[in-house]
Amino acid sequence: MKIKKAGTTVVFEVITYALLAIGSIVCVFPFIIILSGSFTDNTTILTQGYSILPRDFTLSAYQTIFRAPRDILQAYKMTLYYTVVGTAVGLFMITLTGYVISRKEFKYRNQVSFLIYFTSIFGGGMIPWYLMYANVLNMKGSTFAIWFPALMSPFLVILMRTFIVGSVPDAITESAKIDGAGHFTIFIKIVMPVLKPGLATVGLFLALGYWNDWYRSSMFSTNSLTWELQFYLYDLLNATTALKQMTQGTGISTAQLPTESVKLAMAVVATGPILLLYPFVQKYFVSGITVGAVKG
Amino acid sequence: MKRRKLLSLFLVAAMVLTMAGCGGKSAADAMGEEQPDTAQTQEQEPETEGDAQEAAEGESSAAQPAELDTSERVDLVFYVMGDAPDDEQMVEDAINEILLEKVNATIDMQFSTWTDFQQKYSLELTAGSADLIYIANWLNYGQLATSGAFEELDDLLDTVAPVLKETVGETNLDMCRVEGKIYAVPCAWAEYVCNGIKYREDLREKYDLPVPDSLENLEAYLMGIKENDPNQGLLTVTTEESQGFLTGFDAAWVFNLKYPWVNANGLPYGLASDYDSPADVYDYWYSDDFAEDMKLMKKWADLGFWSKSALSDTNNSESYKNGLCVAEVAGQNPNKQITALQDFKNDGHDDWKSEYIAYGEITNTIYPGHATQNGTAVVRGSKNPERALKVLEILMTDEEVNRLVQYGIEGVHYEIDDQGIYHNLEPAHPTFAYEGFNTWALRNGEFKLPQETDIVLNEMFDKYEKLGEQTKFPNVNIYNGFSENYDAYQAERTAVSNVMKQYLAPLQAGLVDNVDAAVEEFRQKMTDAGIEICRDGFKEQWAAYCDEYGYK
Amino acid sequence: MEKELKLLPRFNSILDKEFAGRQTGVFITAAVSLLNIVLSLPFLSWINLVNIPVLFPRLKITRDMAENIFQGYSIFNLLSFVKESNQGMIGLYAMILLVILAAALYFNAAYAVRVIFNLKGNKGNLIIYATGRTAMIFQMMLAGAAFGYTVFANSKFGMRGFQASPVVYIVFVLSLLSYLAVKVMESYERAVYKEHGILEEIRKNWVLFIMLIPTFVYFMINNYLPMIGVYYAFTNFNFRDGLWASPFIGFKNFDFLIKADLFRLTRNTILYNLVFIGVGNILQIIFAIFVSQVTVKWFKKTSQTLMFMPYFVSFVILKVLVYNIFEYQYGLINNIVTSMGGDRIDFYNTPSYWPVLITLFYLWKNIGYGMVVYLATIIGIDTEYYEAAKVDGANIFQQIWYITLPLVKPTFIILLLYALGSIMKGQFELFYQMIGNNGVLYNVTDIFDTYVYRITMTQPLSIGLGTAAGLYQSLFGFIIVVLINFLVKRRNPEYALF
Repeated sequence: MKIKKAGTTVVFEVITYALLAIGSIVCVFPFIIILSGSFTDNTTILTQGYSILPRDFTLSAYQTIFRAPRDILQAYKMTLYYTVVGTAVGLFMITLTGYVISRKEFKYRNQVSFLIYFTSIFGGGMIPWYLMYANVLNMKGSTFAIWFPALMSPFLVILMRTFIVGSVPDAITESAKIDGAGHFTIFIKIVMPVLKPGLATVGLFLALGYWNDWYRSSMFSTNSLTWELQFYLYDLLNATTALKQMTQGTGISTAQLPTESVKLAMAVVATGPILLLYPFVQKYFVSGITVGAVKG
Repeated sequence: MKRRKLLSLFLVAAMVLTMAGCGGKSAADAMGEEQPDTAQTQEQEPETEGDAQEAAEGESSAAQPAELDTSERVDLVFYVMGDAPDDEQMVEDAINEILLEKVNATIDMQFSTWTDFQQKYSLELTAGSADLIYIANWLNYGQLATSGAFEELDDLLDTVAPVLKETVGETNLDMCRVEGKIYAVPCAWAEYVCNGIKYREDLREKYDLPVPDSLENLEAYLMGIKENDPNQGLLTVTTEESQGFLTGFDAAWVFNLKYPWVNANGLPYGLASDYDSPADVYDYWYSDDFAEDMKLMKKWADLGFWSKSALSDTNNSESYKNGLCVAEVAGQNPNKQITALQDFKNDGHDDWKSEYIAYGEITNTIYPGHATQNGTAVVRGSKNPERALKVLEILMTDEEVNRLVQYGIEGVHYEIDDQGIYHNLEPAHPTFAYEGFNTWALRNGEFKLPQETDIVLNEMFDKYEKLGEQTKFPNVNIYNGFSENYDAYQAERTAVSNVMKQYLAPLQAGLVDNVDAAVEEFRQKMTDAGIEICRDGFKEQWAAYCDEYGYK
Repeated sequence: MEKELKLLPRFNSILDKEFAGRQTGVFITAAVSLLNIVLSLPFLSWINLVNIPVLFPRLKITRDMAENIFQGYSIFNLLSFVKESNQGMIGLYAMILLVILAAALYFNAAYAVRVIFNLKGNKGNLIIYATGRTAMIFQMMLAGAAFGYTVFANSKFGMRGFQASPVVYIVFVLSLLSYLAVKVMESYERAVYKEHGILEEIRKNWVLFIMLIPTFVYFMINNYLPMIGVYYAFTNFNFRDGLWASPFIGFKNFDFLIKADLFRLTRNTILYNLVFIGVGNILQIIFAIFVSQVTVKWFKKTSQTLMFMPYFVSFVILKVLVYNIFEYQYGLINNIVTSMGGDRIDFYNTPSYWPVLITLFYLWKNIGYGMVVYLATIIGIDTEYYEAAKVDGANIFQQIWYITLPLVKPTFIILLLYALGSIMKGQFELFYQMIGNNGVLYNVTDIFDTYVYRITMTQPLSIGLGTAAGLYQSLFGFIIVVLINFLVKRRNPEYALF
């Protein structure tokens, strides 16, 4: 069935496609530079700057990074582990909490929301937080200290509440309750299925948070076997600045520092996999629409 | 009924008021005649929370270098800087085997990594989970020791580690004193870190230019290269990364060619004094010399010696190595010259030649590195300070253990050739590099294995040692033994640091339109920020320091 | 409840008597509240020092130090004792007392005001009672903690040197009685309105409470327990005394903020954030609408993915790219400009370009990322709405204006409120990497976080300083959020954050 499009719709579509195309190009442009830089000879980058296509094509940057494949594969493995465990546990806890504080019959929902939100404004700073994990819980060096601190964030909890309020009408849960369903049943059978876009969004944010994190490794890892991928790469980048600062007054011979092209290759290595993952998550954004369309 | 109830309530209230109202009086009168007692208590050592301290003192009263009680096995943590080598575990196991046998202890190296290492270093001390820790003046050894981060070692060294004390030597240990107490054991290997200029000797010869041993010659050298090869980059300079209070922009290091200062770039807060008369402090930032110097910087910037965007330059670590600049003037030292030589060779630039000229050679102010540049301390709150020091003694003075900790396992990680030169067995990707644990503080001249490049380095050191002999204070590093206590003027100090970034850096980078006006503005802002308070505080402490050590 | 009522029949009859048309008990307890406030005022001492000749030498207090030390302390000046006597360890305790005092004063005053002006909520006197109950609980906690303070201090110094003044006991007894009174009155009122207390709520919704347990544990460990650390803002840290026993120095750490150009920093931070939040959200909504309207599947997916990519470019890399674009001699833009015959632009020495550049890069990096939330919201909208609108002849713009935007509004408001709480917290990495150490640009690019970072770098032991700065940011954001949330709640409670 083909409906003739109205003039306004055509205008709108032209604008949409044009702006999205421009936006995409602007966004992808630096990435292309990074990608081509990672395949360019280091001296060429330093002398001639960046370019869209690689000049003096070489794989040496990637060879440098993968020279110790054991390390980088281990870092990949650990990051994958943190991301999967953290996202799964975190998503479950966030959704549960979002469900509870969206229930009208729960008297203290506002107080609980406030207590959760409050943590995003007030904090005791990094030091007591660090001591909590390192000294009180004695978790320094464990993988727990790396995935646990990022399980939830006030932002995601409140976002989840908004999604639940928006997509689960009270009438449905009320009628389920009259049918004798408990909270857990309602949560799993009714709330979860209609919440797909919300779950995908919050899950994506959680997963990205884990994938991009380097700070907790920096703070809590005592062994490079537990390093997150981003920290593995970030630490190499930082060595340059740190050693420059440090060796001014003292005669410490410096180790081999990463070159420009290696830095760019690292950016590619760290980003690549999650970019492959994103289209997979996108499925849920699209499927939301088709469900609606079928209904309509 | 209710009236009476209310009434009684207020009666109670009134009663309370009269009873409690007398509290605001000063307590001084009530102290009684206990005065002398109090004074005495004050004199005594401040009591600490940790039992370790008391235990340590208890030990010291035993006086004799008595046998250490090693019946109980202890596992110690040694916190060092940088990244772990791949074969950390293998080498640790080898060391621990010996340590267990000798003192029934094991050691676990923990690494700061190079990310946020300053912050993590103080966190480590706050949490107190390590026993031994690397110290250095660039890690604020002085301030940390004053603040009580480390155990006092004066007595412990005598009782537990007399061999260590002897190896390191009284002079070296004395340099680690802070407020009269030893808090760290320095390494037993002297080095020279004389700052200077690294330049391209091959280009200088090619274009027949002067050696850059003065501001005029440096200018001529750079100009000569620019004229012959207009596309060649000249200097790579940027805003100071480290938060010194000496310069705001790298290029200003060149004035070390002009002034025989006691320390590279003078003293903090725009003060200066000469090496020959350290106590004689004079003003630099408010002097006419300074205004003249800034005009020179403007001239150089206009000549294009460095990029107009240099204040934000980010990519300067490899310029010299890749031939993008022809001289480096800031933060250089003999070791960096060696690295450059090596880089040129490794990258196949056999026709490139790097040469080094120390500022002190020209101004006759050569002095060695300071003991606090590499040291090890026992963390306050360590449960086993004696054992920790004992282990440190073994790590430094036992040849077998020292070699293990510094170079790894012979035959696996390194070998020694006929001339006694160290060679790594996996030079492309070492699983345990030279000094792979980054324990620069455990260097012991007696056991130190020379690398190939050390031949050149030692030649340089010999030269500087001879030059150092000829100064007024032969081979003494005056400035680095001083640690400033700025508690009283922290706020002003911070403000000064900001003004340096905002007004001094563009001046020293020659990026202002009118130098005189910019100098005036800079001085005004400095005065507003309270520079005088910082200067007064610093001068007073500096004078006391010079007085104490006789640097007149 | 029933039991209590039987136990206190007489008590009850007094409370229940009518006075000016209302229960007497309300007035009595409100009077206790006022009395509590009076008793808490600074001119009454709560904690007295006794056995001073023995105590002071033990605390290593010298005669000249003693000049500034009082024999008795109210909660207000208790911290000054910590400061004058260098007793860091009990400083934290004094701090906690002060916080409880603030809460107690607030609720007591609120209770008295509510009673006097008879400010009822939609459920009779319940709101009044709740206030009164909270006030009395805090007052009891205060008295209890003050007593605990003396016990703690005495055991720490191993002697009887601290004594709670009679005020403490009186306050405790009065508050306890008032608490019971309010409780009794409340139980009547609850019966009327079929309201219930926390125990009843737990019994009824215990499943929901169980669902919250992991969350509770998480936020306790990760956020609430470490919050004690705000105490560091008032100390001058040193390693010898450790985190809790370092000297208490009052508001000295905040001097740095005041001596800094606080106005300029605050202005910069807020202006940048307002632009980021405003423009960012609008563009995110616009692009989310665009993406949701695209029907060509591959285009939809590709554009969405591509716009997400900048989020992955780390700031360290971005810094290098930006420098290569804007550099004076070899930069990309200046190459283009000169090849077209123009004059080179000196970006890195001209502050006026940077607010725009920073905003652009912020948007560039965050639009694709932030868009996801709006996209998910738009996708959640029931398509029936649009079908109906189409039948009514609404064009695409009208559909967006009358359907999409109103339904996106709740999400927008939540995100807005959330962002406003962090209005004093800047995008540190963005500014730090883009500007770095370039002081020339500081006037327009220095935000609060970069400033604090620089000052903490000049001092290795700046724990107190950093905490103080964080406290300022938090307070600022807190006040703004509470205000705006209040306004939002008055217009539409559904949209409020809490």
